[in-house]
Amino acid sequence: MSEAQYGITRRSALLGGVAAVTAPWLLAACGDSGGSPQAAAATGTAQKGGTMHIARPPASNAETLDPASSLSAYEYLGALYSRLVKQAADGTATPDLATHWEATPDSLKWTFTLRDGVKFHNGKAFTSADAAYTLAHILDPATKSPQAGVLSPFLDKSGIATPDAQTLVVTLKSPNAEFVSLLMNYNCYVIPADSASTIGASGIGTGPFQLVSFKAAGKGSVKANADYFGGKPNLDAIEFTAIADVQARVNALLAGQVDLVAQTNLDYATSKTVAASSTATTATVKNAEWYVLPMLCTLAPFTDVSVRQAFKLAYQPQEVLDLAVHGRGSVANNNPVIPTDAYYLDYKVTPDPDKAKSLLQAAGLLSKGQDLYTSSYDSVLTPMALAYQSSVKKAAGLTVDVKTASADSYYTDVWIKKPLCASYWYTGRPIDQLLNQIFRAGSSYNETLWSDATFGSALDAARKEPDQAKRKQHYQDAQKILVDNSGSIVPFFADRTVGLSKKVVNYTEYGFEFDYLNIGFRQ
Amino acid sequence: MLLRTVLRRIGYALLTMLLASLLVFTALQALPGDLATQLLGRDATPSAVAQLRATLHLDRPAWRRYLDWLGGALHGDFGRSLVSHQAVLDEAGRYLRNTAILAAIVIVAGITLSLALGVVAGLLRDRWPDHTISSLSLIGMSVPEFTVSTVLVLVFAVQLGWLPAVVTDGADASVGELMRVIWLPAAALTIVMAAYIIRMMRTSVIDVLGSEYVTAARIRGLSGTRVLFRHVLPNALLPTLNVIAINIAWLVGGVVVVESIFNYPGIGTLMLRAVHDRDLPVLQFIAVLGAATFVVCNLLADLAATWLNPRLRTPGRAG
Repeated sequence: MSEAQYGITRRSALLGGVAAVTAPWLLAACGDSGGSPQAAAATGTAQKGGTMHIARPPASNAETLDPASSLSAYEYLGALYSRLVKQAADGTATPDLATHWEATPDSLKWTFTLRDGVKFHNGKAFTSADAAYTLAHILDPATKSPQAGVLSPFLDKSGIATPDAQTLVVTLKSPNAEFVSLLMNYNCYVIPADSASTIGASGIGTGPFQLVSFKAAGKGSVKANADYFGGKPNLDAIEFTAIADVQARVNALLAGQVDLVAQTNLDYATSKTVAASSTATTATVKNAEWYVLPMLCTLAPFTDVSVRQAFKLAYQPQEVLDLAVHGRGSVANNNPVIPTDAYYLDYKVTPDPDKAKSLLQAAGLLSKGQDLYTSSYDSVLTPMALAYQSSVKKAAGLTVDVKTASADSYYTDVWIKKPLCASYWYTGRPIDQLLNQIFRAGSSYNETLWSDATFGSALDAARKEPDQAKRKQHYQDAQKILVDNSGSIVPFFADRTVGLSKKVVNYTEYGFEFDYLNIGFRQ
Repeated sequence: MLLRTVLRRIGYALLTMLLASLLVFTALQALPGDLATQLLGRDATPSAVAQLRATLHLDRPAWRRYLDWLGGALHGDFGRSLVSHQAVLDEAGRYLRNTAILAAIVIVAGITLSLALGVVAGLLRDRWPDHTISSLSLIGMSVPEFTVSTVLVLVFAVQLGWLPAVVTDGADASVGELMRVIWLPAAALTIVMAAYIIRMMRTSVIDVLGSEYVTAARIRGLSGTRVLFRHVLPNALLPTLNVIAINIAWLVGGVVVVESIFNYPGIGTLMLRAVHDRDLPVLQFIAVLGAATFVVCNLLADLAATWLNPRLRTPGRAG
């Protein structure tokens, strides 16, 4: 295919929060949403042993196994490493290497009790020194970790202490009651102390598999770690193959050379082909991505909040969802928080094209129209742009001119540069990270450059609030402000259709989680 | 005389390679974004980009970077990949080996087959073998290589399961592994390439058959095979040689699509990656290599033509 396609899918997969927060029961309940015969992955008793072959899109020739890096080879991380906390199916933090944690009432000082008797793959015992080193490594500017931008506003190296081998104490610069949820990120996998210079190649962790070989943008393999604290995995080994071309990845699955195609959303036609094959099938990761048309709040006409509101009122979300992704997803009503999140606010402003029309008329935009930029960076961006274009033309008489830019430089030349473009994010970020990182003034990922003091203070209030019910209220206040005033048109969440062999059982993926322990082959 | 021609051609070749490298360098400067922005993607905050640019010396003026590269290249030092930090010669060498193996199979099997089919079609002009060969080669010519590749994969890898669909081992794949997978890409390339050679060979066989010297040879009572091998084939090959040369050059530079579909770790795959990452040293090397292949193939074709054609071999009596 084109060079634009090479590796970029992979890059975008790294943007944060890969895959969707989806409970297994939810997968099972959505049998027909993908239009494929089998939407949920098969479950059952897996045979002991076997080697699974997984095809993956390479990030670049500079891939590394350093989890903190923005160029990490994502698929290896969950197999090789553990974090202090991982994400449960309901989106909350649950023990991994930390068995227990508590905060002082002001949410400033956090004490983690670490799992005893855990060994790294090189036989060295895991202690609080490794946990402290991992945090310092993420915060180190030389690492250039994307997660540093999330943690550094309230945490620096001096706040990390290790009173004894099984205790880690983290003192924040400012309160954050949701601190633990930010450690679920895939940049936060724990590496051995003093390994910054070697971890990229050695991959030494405490995870269910240990590294046998790794080649950037090439082949690699991992073998089962019999000493894994969570038990021995079903599989003996996993072989990872980097295949840049999407079609080649699917061909490898259809020809039986690989058992699973990782981090690849099959388009509608391809998913039909895969589902119809005798050896392969598809599984759905519900609400894996959220799609957005960011309006730049610093450029005309979107400096005017009533214009932003008009652009949100003017379209029919269901119509855009159906047209853009064949209905494979759910409407978002301009709120990027997924409905299964514990802090989700069920609030929407009902589409009102007539009101939109009068607002646009007042702003003089009905005669002028508006450019909307898109690219082939992701296969849904252009369908979404065209669906939005058709919906607003029909209902509100607004003329949107869809312009296609080069995929290669889309995120450097168009995104946060043009007044209106098409974009997307992976779901699975904890709500505190989602709202602070993508919507708050000052964050480098704030793609609309929206700046709202009440929104910021609602988030600060939430971080200061130790009581969970009250904290939820603050996050919900923030969501309401976001839906009403922000520069983000969020039409829908899209499902991801994954291709896998019919022999595979217990494939589960959501949030930052991939279940490497239970996945296996049918008996 | 011959030596002077060859030397002059080598001079032109060096100039071509220099111009190719300059062209690629300029084109890459014109593309939006550089290695720093491409590597960082959405994580490209201004400070991160500036820091990475400084580390990679991308903050220096373009002409100085080109001259630095040229200075190194003249000493045989093509620098290091900006992405993998390996020496370009080592890295590209591995991919080049794989493309060379693929090309060798296509050249030996594919070209022999195409020439034979072209001769058959020419000799049996307007009879059914000619019609079959000509129609099939027309189809091969008209269908793009990604369609040919996809159909081959669907039939032989997915439906029949005889051959693997993709290479899974990456650039370090052993020759043994490549040998299991190489047949489908080789077949795809042969189908696309063969059409031109078959048609050219057919036309020139027909031309030669109608020439006076063939008629004269026949009148003298020479046997059919002797006429074919002594008079028809050498003369018919002459115009086909340049088509073959261009096709071989295309193999090294233009197999990008086929390599991508089969995940074949060749020079085309490396080029795609280098363009995407804006990995200038790697790309410059591939450009120079492509230009060199083109020039060398054409030079060899001309030398072979001299060898095949006595009139060109003996200077002074030509024309």
